[in-house]
Amino acid sequence: MTLVAGVDIGSTTAKCALIEDGRIVGKSLAPVGVELVKDAERALEQALAEAGRDRGEVRVVTGTGYGRFKVTFGQFTVTEIGCHAKGAHFLFPGTRLVLDIGGQDTKAIKVDPNGEVVDFAMNDKCAAGTGRFLDVCAGALGYDVSQIGALSLGARHPVKVTNTCTVFAESEVTSYVARGKDPKDILAGLYGGIVSRSLSLMQRVGVEPEVTFTGGVSKNEGMVRTLERRLALRVNVSPLSQYVGAVGAALYGLERPTGVPA
Amino acid sequence: MGDTGTEPRFLTTARDRQREMVEEYYAGLEGAGGPKKPVAYMLVGGNLTEIVRSFGYEVVFPEIVALNCAIKHVSLPNILHAESQGYGLDVCGYVKNDLGLQEMGGQTPFGRIPPPDLLVCSFSGCYVYVKWWEALAEKYGCPLFMLDVPYLRDATPQSEDIQYIVTQLHELIALLEKATGRAFDPAELRATLARSRRAEEGWVNYLASGRRRPSPIEAYFEAVFYMFPINVLRGTEVAADFYATVNAEVDERVRSGTYPVPEEKFRLVVEGVPPYPSYRTFWDFFRKWGAVSVAATYPKVGGLFDRGFLHDPARPFDSIAEYSLGAYVNQSWPLRRTLIEEYVRDFGADAVLIHGIKSCRSFTAGQGDLRDRLIHDLGIPTLYIESDHEDPRYFAPAQIKNRMDAFFESLDRRKGTTPLPMVGG
Repeated sequence: MTLVAGVDIGSTTAKCALIEDGRIVGKSLAPVGVELVKDAERALEQALAEAGRDRGEVRVVTGTGYGRFKVTFGQFTVTEIGCHAKGAHFLFPGTRLVLDIGGQDTKAIKVDPNGEVVDFAMNDKCAAGTGRFLDVCAGALGYDVSQIGALSLGARHPVKVTNTCTVFAESEVTSYVARGKDPKDILAGLYGGIVSRSLSLMQRVGVEPEVTFTGGVSKNEGMVRTLERRLALRVNVSPLSQYVGAVGAALYGLERPTGVPA
Repeated sequence: MGDTGTEPRFLTTARDRQREMVEEYYAGLEGAGGPKKPVAYMLVGGNLTEIVRSFGYEVVFPEIVALNCAIKHVSLPNILHAESQGYGLDVCGYVKNDLGLQEMGGQTPFGRIPPPDLLVCSFSGCYVYVKWWEALAEKYGCPLFMLDVPYLRDATPQSEDIQYIVTQLHELIALLEKATGRAFDPAELRATLARSRRAEEGWVNYLASGRRRPSPIEAYFEAVFYMFPINVLRGTEVAADFYATVNAEVDERVRSGTYPVPEEKFRLVVEGVPPYPSYRTFWDFFRKWGAVSVAATYPKVGGLFDRGFLHDPARPFDSIAEYSLGAYVNQSWPLRRTLIEEYVRDFGADAVLIHGIKSCRSFTAGQGDLRDRLIHDLGIPTLYIESDHEDPRYFAPAQIKNRMDAFFESLDRRKGTTPLPMVGG
């Protein structure tokens, strides 16, 4: 029995997953601050607490995400691209394309039948179409981002919202609100814009079923439905979709030979 | 925005000599200009340095001045000055560096760049470059010669294109005779071309050593340093001698087992102009993974000597015309794509890395299609990343490093060779 941990330090949240015998036995998720080393430590400790395990039992810790180099107590680092591929393949073995929309990144990752990365494409130096984009626009509508998931489902006349700039989109949302547009229609327009950007990345690497949607934005039901409609495909979304990077990192740790360097 | 990368230690004698040559070149420009030592500005692609030098001109390549500014981290003030004059964010960084520098007096950390007595626009494939030369002509009121080089459509230049350029070369010579009061000396041109050919042969030998396993050369980052003599000093004795020094060092590297990286894990073909403001940082991203470029297209922007073309003193004008037509930047996309595919095959490369630059649509347009062709049609792992060759504001190190790390991770997994990078890597 080998207990391994993956710690994913993203732009907005820190996630940890513990895996043993092919099962996820613990997890944690919390916002990140400015002290990423402490955030990483806390993520691991919280996951261990949930699993009722001790730190000394963890055989390998692998860091991932933009803050992976701050997982200083770990043994290895792997980019979130590789980890999302591996994590998505673990949860949905038929995955051939991963769409991950996190706080500030959108990634389309093409994977082979073994969960290895074949190709990937990412948004370029701009947070338009990411979780941050949704945060800002939800705020402009007077909602918290956690409240807007299913709101768009009753939209009847989705508006057009620019999908190239978060700041411009926020101004447009404010303008639509001032003109009395239904928030459902505004949200539907926002989701359509985000999905259009994501489709561009997905098409660059090649759309092939099964498609697995990961990252914080995959918790948004309106986004999932919009994506499925545009792809004309059912999309895999796990209840653990925010942990996929951490799960993948933990799995990388399992593949290391025994006697890994400390 | 400092470049925190380091230059590896395998570069020694030849690199030191190259530095000296750069210093000597810029020192030689001090006091140049005017009838006694006239200055001609020229572009690198398909340049006519042999003809212009044969009339006693010092030749300045503002593109190379610009990249020297960028690699020494002084390009941004020049760019900002040009932008304050009205040049937009999307205008080429080379152009803005030069026009900003000219407006501020031409002083650089490596010497003062003299104003031109003559402008020779030797690469007209980029419309922005044409406008750049027109702006300089207006500022300095000096003659402007525009060489119109048709894009190379087929692997072998068409005779009509060669004749079209030769006609223009004679027009240039007439202009040079009038400007200098000197008669054209065919024997001098032939002698200059013979020296050019000697340098070109040495350069080709150097580039060919990337076929060895492990490669004793870095065909992108290192070769970029060694482009200076082949582009700027071609036709001189020092350039011809330089490549003998380089190749002797390469032989010594093979004998002593001194390579660009201690353990060659990935052999790459690199396409695109380097991010000069973060040159060494970018290079570090390769070296950390044991990645070596074994062939690259950018060092051939001045001429594709490694594909069989060499200047021929016995056919001076036709030869110069063929050279101008065949420069990498003047090739059609099907030819560029074929060249890259051949490099992958001939140099035993594992993958291709494409670096696109925001400044130059002329160079970069088509690179997305190239990526798709390599990945989807040929199954060659390819990474496309983007920043700029001149403007440090466009280099996002964390994002570029993340993409490169992910790319090398996936290559590593395919090869199944080595452990993951340690924390702190």
